[in-house]
Amino acid sequence: MKPEIIIKHLGYVLFLNGIFLFISFLISAYLNETSSIPLLYSAFICGIFGLFPVLFVERTENIIFEEGLVIVVLGWFMTCVAGMLPYLMWGGEFTLANAWFESVSGFTTTGATVLNDIEALPKGLLFWRSSTHWIGGIGIIIFVLLILPQSKGARINIFHTEVSDLSKMNFRFRARKIIQILALIYLSLTVLETAFLMMAGMSFFDAVNHSFATVATGGFSTKNLSVAAYDSLTIEIIIMVFMVLSGIHFGIIFNTVSLKSNNIFTSSLVRAFVFVMFVGIIVISIKLYLSGMFSFPNALRYASFQVISLGTTTGFATIDTANWPIFTQIVLIYFTIQCAMTGSTSGGLKFDRVYILFKSIGKQVRLLKHPRGVFVVKINDKPVDEKLEYQTLVFVVLYVVTFFTSTFILTALDVDAMTAFSASIATIGNVGPGFENVSSLGNFSTIPDLGKYVLSGNMFLGRLEIFNILALFSLKN
Amino acid sequence: MKKLKNKIFASFMLLVMMLALAGVISIVEFRWLINSLHGLVEDNYKSIEASKTMLEALEREDSGILLVLLGEMESGRKIFFAADSAFIAALSIAKNNLTEPNENAYIQSIEDNYLLYKNFWNKPLLQTDKEASILWYQNTVHHQFSETKRSINDLMNLNQSSMYENATHLRERSRRAMMPGIVAIISAVIFSFVLHFFINRYFVKPIIDLAMAVKAFRPEDKILRTKINSKDEIKQLEEAINHQLNSIVTK
Repeated sequence: MKPEIIIKHLGYVLFLNGIFLFISFLISAYLNETSSIPLLYSAFICGIFGLFPVLFVERTENIIFEEGLVIVVLGWFMTCVAGMLPYLMWGGEFTLANAWFESVSGFTTTGATVLNDIEALPKGLLFWRSSTHWIGGIGIIIFVLLILPQSKGARINIFHTEVSDLSKMNFRFRARKIIQILALIYLSLTVLETAFLMMAGMSFFDAVNHSFATVATGGFSTKNLSVAAYDSLTIEIIIMVFMVLSGIHFGIIFNTVSLKSNNIFTSSLVRAFVFVMFVGIIVISIKLYLSGMFSFPNALRYASFQVISLGTTTGFATIDTANWPIFTQIVLIYFTIQCAMTGSTSGGLKFDRVYILFKSIGKQVRLLKHPRGVFVVKINDKPVDEKLEYQTLVFVVLYVVTFFTSTFILTALDVDAMTAFSASIATIGNVGPGFENVSSLGNFSTIPDLGKYVLSGNMFLGRLEIFNILALFSLKN
Repeated sequence: MKKLKNKIFASFMLLVMMLALAGVISIVEFRWLINSLHGLVEDNYKSIEASKTMLEALEREDSGILLVLLGEMESGRKIFFAADSAFIAALSIAKNNLTEPNENAYIQSIEDNYLLYKNFWNKPLLQTDKEASILWYQNTVHHQFSETKRSINDLMNLNQSSMYENATHLRERSRRAMMPGIVAIISAVIFSFVLHFFINRYFVKPIIDLAMAVKAFRPEDKILRTKINSKDEIKQLEEAINHQLNSIVTK
């Protein structure tokens, strides 16, 4: 491994953060806010660390897999370190643990917050907070590959570490083309949602911030009451549509737009994803109506938003689900575990893996009946590679072990069981809100500092996929 | 930037810029802090002190009235006229030190209440029905005394809460003044490590390679066997050594 190549690429990552920090500074400076200097200095530091390695390291012709792995994992880590700088320098509710948590939560598109009063933040800092979602949604490394010059060999090895095998399933293009498609869909969804939200009456600033958070499936809002603050059905419907779109594989969206087969209407995965959410919405609506909490139209409205928000790992809220019947909370926890599709901006377990898991269970049952039979797991009538099937099963096991371990640690820190359990699942799934103290309109401020670091670790594992982290630690040199 | 000396110079300039900007930010913030601290003492503290003086003067006037009511005419009058001067002087300080929004209304309220209060004792009390009338004092004078005292307390509370708010704000700003320095120190340490690595990788290591190649040079080789493929001063040095070796070998 060549450390200079790794340092140079980490520099690129920081430089990109510096650009967004500078934009946030311009907003802050224009509004004469107290966050101007923290944002400016953070942008300056990122710029210096970004430019400095370029002075020494020549253009890289090739990057080996190990280098790509270190660049991706350390790139995410360095991004989060850079991201917490303006928070830490500005102060307010941001202690070291809080600034780190907020930064990791932003970049991993988790959307869990430690802030009690979001509206007290200056607008420049609010924009930076949403920007962390937007940068993290598409993946900081994909951003670097898109914007900065790379040789073909370098691009391929970094790309293959950043994008999982499952995500590549619906793409039949080279790395460069896939990156361009991802960026095009991402940007189009952001612009469209901003326009629709403005038409629905949101201010330009709020519309941009909420679009960043929706398309990245993040969930940071500029309001203490999240989307509930607007109390507008039109805004809720727009956000719901874009949350679903952002939770679908971008390759499938591209196929739909370019009128190709395996599109949103024909993909068996998309059908299953939407169907499961539909069932969830109906079941929760009926339960809420029967428990006498809401009229049926209101029950349907709140259930739809919450199921789609958690099912796509976004985490926006229109109501506090902490007081909902336990049955509805359990159904919502299922959606927190399931997450959205691979190839989208969401993190966590991913719906595709859950789909393969259930299909594998079916396969094993059939094998019990017909031990000599040959059965294959299929997605869109195409067989899934057995290696991928096995990887998926191991991933699911590791995922469960990780969130149970994190739950144990949190309970050891005297966090109550429901808060610990739901916070662990919500953070490793990059969803955001859980239940009890960390419910949809609550926050993570009551979690002890050590717990915040544990949950930040969960967010990393959820975003970077557990295998990448394990592979990094298994490197010998 | 091909030349090594330019690269190293640029690196140090970046480091200097990083530290200088942190220094400038800290100086600006600390200057603001000093001014704010000065303002805090000058503005709010002055009004709080004036309010305290007014309260004290008011209490003394009240004692003076009680003395007059008890027949101690001379000493009573002496006390409340002295206290009145002190009150008016303190009120004038507060009047000229309007720093909070709506503070003027508070001052006006003190002035109005005090004039009403003063009206009671300014007129002669002796040989009237008010002489030795504790009931008159209790029902009329004391009520106005309390009203004046309340309006002074309101002014004091306004300045005290503003002082507390400003102190909290100052604490935040002092943190903001310190943070660039802390971030700059940590960044400078990391920067130095990275710079050390680059100098080692692009300056020291090629020189060591070159020295080893010179040691391993045999006349039949004609040129040095090195892995230097940069275009900087090290390459120039390698070319110069090769040229020199060639001329020695050909002689």
